[in-house]
This record gives sequence, structure tokens and C-alpha cells, in this order.
Amino acid sequence: MTAYIIRRLLYTIPIVFGVLLLTFVLFTLVGGDISLEIAGKNATPETIEEIREEYGFNKPLFLSWDSQFINHFKSALTFDFGRALDREPVLDKIKRGVGPSLALTVPMFFGVVIISVSLALVVAFVRGTVWDMLVVLICVAGMSIPYLSFILFGQYFLAYKWGLFPVFFSPDLAMASYVALPVLIGIVTGLGGNLRFYRTVMLDEMRNDYVRTAFAKGLNTRRVLFKHVLKNAMIPIITRVVLAIPFLFLGSLLLERFFGIPGLGYLMVEAIGSRDYFVINAMTYISAILFVIFNVITDICYALVDPRVSFD
Amino acid sequence: MKFSSIVLTTMLLLAAGCDRKGGEGESDEIVLQHRLRAKVQSLDAANIGDTISHGVASEIFDCLYTYHYLKRPYLIVPQLAAQMPEVSEDGLTYTIRIKEGVRFADDECFAGGKGRELKASDFVFAWKRIADVKALSKNWWVFDDKIAGLDEFREYTQTSKKDEVDYSRPVEGLTAADDYTLVIKLKRAWPQILYVLTYLPTAPAAKEAVDYYGKDLINHPVGTGAFKLKIWHRGSYIEMVRNPNFREELYPSEGTEGDAEAGLLRDAGKRMPFVDRIVWRIVPEDQPRWLMFEQGDIDITSIPKDNYGQAIAMGRELTASMKERNIRLDAFKEPDTFYIGFNMEDPVLGVNKPLRLAISCAFDREKWIELFYNGRGDVAYGFIPPCMPGYDPNVKEGSRTEYNPEKAKRLLEQAREINGGELPEFKLTMQGTDTTYRQMGQFLSRSLQEIGLDVEMEYLDWPTYLEKLRTKGVQIYQSGWIADYPDVENFLQIFYSKRSPWPNSSNYSNPEYDGLVEQAALMEDSPQRTQLYRKAERIVMEDAPCAFMFHRIFYVMYHDWVGNFKPNAYRPDSFGYGLSKYYRVDVAKRAAYHKKYK
Repeated sequence: MTAYIIRRLLYTIPIVFGVLLLTFVLFTLVGGDISLEIAGKNATPETIEEIREEYGFNKPLFLSWDSQFINHFKSALTFDFGRALDREPVLDKIKRGVGPSLALTVPMFFGVVIISVSLALVVAFVRGTVWDMLVVLICVAGMSIPYLSFILFGQYFLAYKWGLFPVFFSPDLAMASYVALPVLIGIVTGLGGNLRFYRTVMLDEMRNDYVRTAFAKGLNTRRVLFKHVLKNAMIPIITRVVLAIPFLFLGSLLLERFFGIPGLGYLMVEAIGSRDYFVINAMTYISAILFVIFNVITDICYALVDPRVSFD
Repeated sequence: MKFSSIVLTTMLLLAAGCDRKGGEGESDEIVLQHRLRAKVQSLDAANIGDTISHGVASEIFDCLYTYHYLKRPYLIVPQLAAQMPEVSEDGLTYTIRIKEGVRFADDECFAGGKGRELKASDFVFAWKRIADVKALSKNWWVFDDKIAGLDEFREYTQTSKKDEVDYSRPVEGLTAADDYTLVIKLKRAWPQILYVLTYLPTAPAAKEAVDYYGKDLINHPVGTGAFKLKIWHRGSYIEMVRNPNFREELYPSEGTEGDAEAGLLRDAGKRMPFVDRIVWRIVPEDQPRWLMFEQGDIDITSIPKDNYGQAIAMGRELTASMKERNIRLDAFKEPDTFYIGFNMEDPVLGVNKPLRLAISCAFDREKWIELFYNGRGDVAYGFIPPCMPGYDPNVKEGSRTEYNPEKAKRLLEQAREINGGELPEFKLTMQGTDTTYRQMGQFLSRSLQEIGLDVEMEYLDWPTYLEKLRTKGVQIYQSGWIADYPDVENFLQIFYSKRSPWPNSSNYSNPEYDGLVEQAALMEDSPQRTQLYRKAERIVMEDAPCAFMFHRIFYVMYHDWVGNFKPNAYRPDSFGYGLSKYYRVDVAKRAAYHKKYK
């Protein structure tokens, strides 16, 4: 197993290299001269030259130890992303935003997965009944209602009218307090699509002969569902669940905006809005690395839960 | 590990990471709770050109003069100056004594971290910095061609290398006669200079701070104001605390008629500020902002368009539910003009007047005011707001402001002829990204599509939008100007060719207009000067470098625990602008309100 993990990790090296090459090409070659963008149309040549000097855009692109490409690599590998356009170190921005973002997305993620997988099992078991149809109907309705409506509704009734949660972020509040409502809204909105997906997965499994055999042997429902069906349905669940984890890092733009959570979703959108290449570059790189790492974890999980997938 | 254990672990980790900070309820601190609709761009006084940054930074920096808090009409009074300036007979030399004992806020840029005493040379340095081309100040327009020798200093900075600009280089018209005396020599008479000396960018700057922080100065404001920056979490909130070095400044003892009855003189003669901390939360969306105000988590606010009906009843009074909550309302006409600007350097727009006029004819301003401002506004026919001295009551005659789609279509035919064929797609830039700006954008693009123009909308956050204007990166853009001081001369700058691209963001240029501006700038307030202003306005109306939209009527609401509240039309939104030091917050009243309504 260790050899398998090491081998999979070694495979990630060319992928990370590819990501760095791609971001470099996109931001430096395809995107045009960043210094001109920063300096603006009416800037003097001296100002443009100063900006080039400051950000190192006057260095050769490739063929030198001090080239822009090598420096791009160095900064990525050392996680020293320099300063954003507003002069604040990029890493400081990310460090500050990652806590609130994860506080929002991690509970949301677990809430959605646990509730939707459990409910999917139950609904799959009672397939074809009124309860099944009712749940599917609610799921479709939930998926059809715009995300923003849930936010406005939740903020108005749960926070303002009933006073169960704070309406908005406040620096004086504990983090758990101001992320609670957005987490709840995130779970409710995420349930529809996930529940339907897991229900389909479970239904496919329920139709298999081994389930009929298990029931015929007299095993109780709980044991059949949670020990046999769930275990066999793990491959699609793992694929969906583990690959969603890297996106947790990116936060949730609308929830962050409406509830004032100072997270990374907000940071990323702001950076795009203000053409802050340095922040966009850092966020793209970190997201890509996380995606690669969690792909490896997915592969390991496959091998752990499915004996047909070998570590060899 | 089972899911339940994972969730439990996550919750525990989360709880461990959640450090509850001491709120107002847990200490005796008096906190003023402000809100901002957009992010602050900069807190470097010399480099501020927008209202949001201006409002916030004005709590940290003081200028030589300010407006009397209570007296109306607006009266200029000394702030860092010890008295009003001594003006030479020819009106060219201003000698200003500076208060002794004023100290900068403590900061690590000073020796031992202790703020040093303010000197006249700090003004000289600050103003030279505005003139320094390399410092990229947005505010050179304030001093351009005004002070003897300062333009030459600017030329010198153009030729010198960055970081090698010699600030000790003498400027004839800008000297510190001694530590407490500033002498300004003008090139020619400039009667509006007193207004400019109340304007934030003219605040003094400590050279130690500029040298120590360099480009980071925008994040580290060091001023002499009543508050100092504690935390600036960009995009989220700003926290300021009382500046312990703040000089002894007393609440005014005189006001205007009715101020005493309104309780505005209760604190007469008491030392300011009355609050310990100011928290500015950035709340771009209307719904949370309004709900927070109703819950008592924001002290002062404007009224979002969708909540107007909840707040205001027929007859423009507060609704019963607002009165029950003891919420107060003030309404006044703002000295502002909002417009849709055209970049006159754009190769298609700049040379095609029928095209610009067609765009102007496409907008139904009455509907715009009704939809987005609940009728709180007047249609703009020119750039001088109706509430300002100098407004032309006959401005409607000759104005290009009208809603006439049929005329617009006819004008577009001429525009196509001038263009030599079909018109390209245009880009319309909006100054915000929230829901309301998107709705406004839809209104504008639909209006233009109805007359046959293709438009691509661009929604930018406030700092990016300003940067785009500064770099002439816009084509058609939504904009506005709120007067900095009660003189129409301020409005003339937005079309004066020497002020391109800021504040003349349409990059409009007309020698005849420029001549009138230069002529009026030398004159004292008089009917002759007003005539020149009106003539200049007519020229702009004829050339149409923008489509004038409306003048806003501002409604400000505040809770009854905010004492000493008196709106100032030249300090928009009342959310800062150095006014916070006058406000008193009754914490017990707020706590009682929270108990009842939160």
C-alpha cells in the first residue's frame, strides 16, 4: 500500500508541473502584458517600466535561472505568492480567508453527505411508495428554487423574524454563531441534487441479487441497507464526495456575500473583479494542488473499499 | 472512522477555533456601528478620490479647516489651524498659524512608536507629495496651476527617478516659516482655496510614515484625527479605536436656530470624541443591511429601494412601525449630479455627437428615479444641482435631457452615417456588483437595446471601477459627482480638460469651456461669476459628453440612541467624514432595543 501511495504521489509531480506551466502561459503569455493592465492606458513608459521592475516582468521569460518561469515555479513551490495589487501579501489574505471558508463549507459538506446518503438509503428501500414520490418531489422542487431565494428567505425568517441566528457577520461574534445559518441554508439547498443522485445509486444496488438473497436469508433491513448495500454503493459515493472536497477551499460566494463571511469565495471573486492576477494565480494553483491530492485519496479509497481494485 | 465521528471532530475543531471576542455587551466600550456599501480603496489621504475611502479616512485625518458642525449656511472654521488665515492685500499670500501640541497617532514609524508633534512642514511635505508625479496622487487637480513653484516641482519629479525625489527642494509658494506657520503664495487669486483646505487630501502627512511604509502606506494611515485604524479586513470590516493622542477638541457651543430644542447643544463644550470604537461593516446587499438596521446592529443608514414602503408612509413620513421603534428620519437634497458618461477619447463615441444624444434620449429618467430611488430624486438637465448656489432655474431650456425613443432612433441613423456603417457593440461599465446595480444595468441596457444599440454590461467593484476611470479604460460608464464644498467651481472640474482622466473621466475637452473655468476661478462669488458658470454648463449640455440622469434626495435614518446627529449635505451618507467624533451613543438605549427587537 505504501508503494502504491508513493507511486500515485509521484504521478502528481508532472501534473503539478503541467498546472504551473498552464497558469504561467495563461497569465503571462495569453493574458497580455500585466504591467500595462496595472499601469493603465495613460501611464508613462517610466511608470510601466517601474511596475515591470517591481513585479519582475522585465526578466526573460524562460531561458535564465532568474527567468519569470523559474520564479513562477519558485514562488509556487515555496508558497510565497508575493503581494496582491492592494499591497497585502497574498498568502496573508488566503490564510485569513481559509478559516471562515472552511467553517462554512466543511459542516455544509458533511451535513449534505450524511443526510442525503442516509435518506437515499431509506427512500430507495421504500421505492415506489408515496414517501418515495414525496421525497423526489421535494428534491425537484428544492432544485428548481433559485439558491438566492433560500438565502433571502432564511435570512429574513430564521435570522430576522425568529432571531435564531445573527443576520450578518460581526467581528464581535464567534465564528460558529455567524456561519450557522449559512451552513443550514447550504445543507438544505445541497440536499435536492445529492439525494436524487444517491437514491439512483442505491436503487441500482437494491436491484442486485445479493440484496434479495440477504433478505431471503432473514437479515434485518438495517443490516442489509447499511452493511451490504451502502458498502457496495461506495464507489460512486466516494467519487462524488472526495472530489468535492477541494472545492470546499473555494468557499461559497453567495453565502459569503449575503452573510458577510470573510472567506475565500469572496476573495476569489474580488480578485477576478479587480484583475488581481497575483491572487487569482495563487488560488488557481492551490485549488489545482488540492484537486490532485484528493484524486490520489479517491484512488486509495477505491482500493480500500473495493477488493476488485488492487494496490498493485 | 464513521461519519458521525468525523462530524463530531469537525465540530470540536470548529468550536476550538472559534474565539469569541469581547463585544460591546461585555465591556464598557461605546461602539458606533457604521456600514459601507462597497470596499475602501485606499487610506492614504493624498491618494483618495472616492467618497467611500474619503468618508472612512476622514475619521483618521484632520485638515487645516473644516465646516462648523451645527451652523448653517455652512461656515468654515479652523481645525488644525489656530485661526483663520491672514490674507495679504493682493489676495496672493496666505499665512496660516497651526495649533501647537497637536500630535500624530502613535505608530511604529515614529521613533519609539510615539506620535510626534505636528509641524507646518508636514503640510508642505504632504502637498509636495500630491504634486509628485511618481506618487500617482489622484488629487493633483486640487493644486494644479495654483501655488507658485509647485507646478515646477511637479515637472522636476517627472524627470527624477522614483524614490529619489528630493522633497527638501524648495517651492517658492509653499514654505514653513517656522514650526507653526505655513505660508502659501498663490500664482493668482484663488478665492476657493479655503474650501480646498477643508478637503481631505490636503491633510498633513508624516514623512516618517511615507518613508517607513512606502507603497504600503495605503494600509497604514497615520493621522492626527480622533480615531486610528485598528483592523482593516478588506472586503469585510474596518475597526477604528479612539486616538489617545487626539488634541483637546470641544463640541461646539453655538448652533443654528432649533439646534438647542433638538438637543444638539447638550454636549456643548465637552471634549470629543464620545465613542471609543467605530466598526464599519461592508454590507453590499440591501436586504442584510436593512435587517441589521432594524435589529439595531447598524446605527445610521440610508433606505434601500425595496424597503422604502416599510420605512416611509404617504406624505414622506416615517411609518408607524418605524416611529414605534423611535427611529428618526432626516431628508435633504444632496448637492450631486448622476450621469451616464461617455469616454470622449473613444474613437466611435468621441466623434459622434448624434450617437451620444441618441443614448441620452433612450433613458426614461422619471422611471429610473421611481424604480431605483422610490421617487427620491429630480431629473438632471445640467450638472449644477438645484440645491447649490449658481443653479440655473432655466436650465431645462436647451437641455439635451429628454426621453424620446423615436428621436433616438432617428439620431442613430445619423450616427450610422457618421460612423460609415453599422455601429459596434458598446460596453457600459457599472460602479458596483450588487443586485441593485445589476438591476440598474438591466434597465440601461434594455433602454439602449430598444433604440437598436447593442450593449455589453460590465459590473465592477468600486475600487476596480475607479481604477478603470483613472486609466481611461471605460467606454460608457455610470457615474456621479457629489460636491466636496459649497461652490459650483467644484463641479466645473469634472469637465475641465486639464483634469482628465480624474475627475474629468469623460476626458472631455473644449477650449471655450476651459477658458470660462479659468476665468471664473479667479473671481470672488458674484452674479458675474454665476453667469460664467451657467454659460459653461450650457457648453457642456450642447456637447453632451454625458447623459445627465438625476439629482438625489437623500433620506437618512438613525436610531434614537445616536445623539448629536445633524446631517451635512457635503458629507454624504453621514457615515463618517469626520462626523463620528460628534456622535454620542446611548448604550443602555441600544441594549433595551436589542432586548425588544432582536
